[in-house]
Amino acid sequence: MEIIWEMLQDGFFAAIAAIGFSAISRPPRQAYLWCALIAATGHSFRFLLMKGPGMSVHIVIATTLASFLIGVMAVLLSPKTKVPAETYLFPSLLPMIPGIYAYKTFAGLVMCMYHSSEGMFEKDFYLFATNGLTCFFILLGMAIGATIPIFMLKKISFQATRHKIRF
Amino acid sequence: MEHEGMEMTEMIRKECTIPATEMCAFLANYSSRLFTSGSTCIRLEKNVTRIAEAYGMNVEITILPRHIHLTVHDPGYHEVVTAIASIGEGPISFDLNTRLSKLSWQIADGKISFEEAREVFERLVDIPYHNIFNLPIIVACANAAFCRLFNGDWIAMAVVFVATFVGYILKILLTKRGVDYRLTVVACAFVSSVLAACDGLFGLSSTPDVAFATSVLYLVPGIPFINSFSDMLDRHYICAFGRLMNALVLTFCLSFGLGLGILLTGVHIF
Repeated sequence: MEIIWEMLQDGFFAAIAAIGFSAISRPPRQAYLWCALIAATGHSFRFLLMKGPGMSVHIVIATTLASFLIGVMAVLLSPKTKVPAETYLFPSLLPMIPGIYAYKTFAGLVMCMYHSSEGMFEKDFYLFATNGLTCFFILLGMAIGATIPIFMLKKISFQATRHKIRF
Repeated sequence: MEHEGMEMTEMIRKECTIPATEMCAFLANYSSRLFTSGSTCIRLEKNVTRIAEAYGMNVEITILPRHIHLTVHDPGYHEVVTAIASIGEGPISFDLNTRLSKLSWQIADGKISFEEAREVFERLVDIPYHNIFNLPIIVACANAAFCRLFNGDWIAMAVVFVATFVGYILKILLTKRGVDYRLTVVACAFVSSVLAACDGLFGLSSTPDVAFATSVLYLVPGIPFINSFSDMLDRHYICAFGRLMNALVLTFCLSFGLGLGILLTGVHIF
């Protein structure tokens, strides 16, 4: 029961994050609600995979699977609302962007130059390498997971904006 | 319905008498605006090809980090025109992306003539975007929610809200003054991190490290990162690399601003 409550909380805050960060990239007005819903579902699914009872899936795999779910939802929804899949897809992925890993990578790199002792250098290089690799593979997993549905359902993905046009 | 659309498209192709020069100029403007609005390379290629084919022309596209190279020709290569469009610097807009994609289908389905398409395009790019939210407040809420996702407590969330709100206001002010975006990111990251460091310095919450680490996340260039990896999977390696470099430079600026904040406040998060 506790895990369901935690998943709901995770989904709720991911939805707020998705609305706020997607507002920067100027989505169509009708997209906000769907971005929030898709982001909440995807993020809470990732939470379940990583922290659910007996799960503890690695963050890269969990993010890839959650991105796939987000991709499928975005592609299936796009023709119904006549909006390109990316309009839902990219803002919904934003709460999973590995921002902290990204800047810890640069921090590690800069600190490598400051320390002259081998031990300190190894520690900072480890910080740079682990964060950099995790960041890279999370982004790659996100792109692969989210892109597979677009290519699987190519006809839906690239004809979503056809017909019923209002300018 | 789709079949009817195809027939109409064929009809327009047969009647097409549009000079390749005009077609090329239109497609150059269209592709430049679509790219700036945050489109992936695959969508840009599909939309531009769809429009050209609807008017009986063929188009070859090379997408570079700052330019788009288009060659428009008729099937018999009697008329060949090349244009290089510069990619402008503007905000990502999925609203414009959606409208431009719809325009491409209107053209492909034969619903509007070339002249009308040009008029509609000019109108679309001039439509001002009115955000339904107050941006600094909604972005601050989003970053505070992010803090919560990293297990920050309620006070840490409030600190992140204030740090983000002030940082975002600064971002708007500096952008309006025409300050280089990279310098803007450094300044905003510095201000937000210093404000978030107050949490640890004054012992406000039990998770000051989370507040400090998440206070600058609103500056992470998320869409360019996703776009670059998406282009990479579609084998647009040059464009993917260009977008990745842009995103990395901005992340470096963010880290630099955060580093200055660490130097000033003495807070350690690593």
